[in-house]
Amino acid sequence: MSVQKSWSELQTMARACRIVVEALDVLEAAAVPGVSTKEMDRIAREHIERAGARPAFLGYRGYPATLCISVNEEVVHGIPGPRKLREGDIVGLDLGCIVDGFFGDAARTVAVGRAGEQAQRLMRVTRESLLAGIDACRPGKRVGDIGHAVQTHAEGQGYSVVREFVGHGIGTSLHEEPQVPNYGPPGRRERLVPGMCLAIEPMVNVGGAEVEVLADGWTAITRDRSLSAHFELSVAVTPFGPWILSEPYPYEQAEAANA
Amino acid sequence: MPEAASRPRTGATEPLEVEGTVREALPNALFRVELAAGTRTAVTAHVAGESSLLRLRPGDAVVVEIAPYDAGRGRIVRRR
Repeated sequence: MSVQKSWSELQTMARACRIVVEALDVLEAAAVPGVSTKEMDRIAREHIERAGARPAFLGYRGYPATLCISVNEEVVHGIPGPRKLREGDIVGLDLGCIVDGFFGDAARTVAVGRAGEQAQRLMRVTRESLLAGIDACRPGKRVGDIGHAVQTHAEGQGYSVVREFVGHGIGTSLHEEPQVPNYGPPGRRERLVPGMCLAIEPMVNVGGAEVEVLADGWTAITRDRSLSAHFELSVAVTPFGPWILSEPYPYEQAEAANA
Repeated sequence: MPEAASRPRTGATEPLEVEGTVREALPNALFRVELAAGTRTAVTAHVAGESSLLRLRPGDAVVVEIAPYDAGRGRIVRRR
């Protein structure tokens, strides 16, 4: 079981997650044709450091950058470089930071200019799958219920779900127990309890679920080179339901009514 | 940043090859084999393919494959 966080620890996690999501807003606006992925990385790092946080990915298991940027058929873990974004690309932006020893982690896939219809639909379905997974983050549910919700939504729309990479517990390290797969039967795996923090992150492909990792040791691409999208949010399990940590605490009223 | 999924810890993997000595011939071409290594001293083993292995007698030295999910049974793959 993962570590349960105290209320004040959750506040710190929320600060880290807010910084990440604000940086993603800036990056989304900056993703225009002609900008290099290296430049996107610079923007990400600048935003995080100006907010008084530290990049979480830089140096993690030897990862060489602040941002993971995965274009089109790249699934996750794309390394920033000289590649320039082009009109119609879809770009996965995955970012993490550390505030007072606690990690925040989030990702989204955005279109450069105008993306095709299939790409837009893929991004919408992946985001909906993430929200379906988050909705399962309630005490008494289990980790398998999250993956089941994600999988049924994505596959119900004709897409496939990546198996080789999974969501994870998050807290004083980037990856904590438990692992959170985006597939599998409901009612299995660890029981969810208040105070658990999970990074839920469906990776959804237009074609097959299979991925391969390039020779750089990081960049994962779809084996059939079909488009892939990735959305991620860090979520705390509370007695009232899920709290997306980058958003305001949503249960003030429920708590007052309970008191 | 997604984590690489860990492989499940349960389930069958490669069989383990160990050396042993035939102690007793049982019915149905099974043999009780005493193992040279490890804590378990004996397994019941059937022979793999080769008919020459059917003529094993107590005292013969053999190599046994042991499946990870049932350490009490094995498969005699060759003499040594």
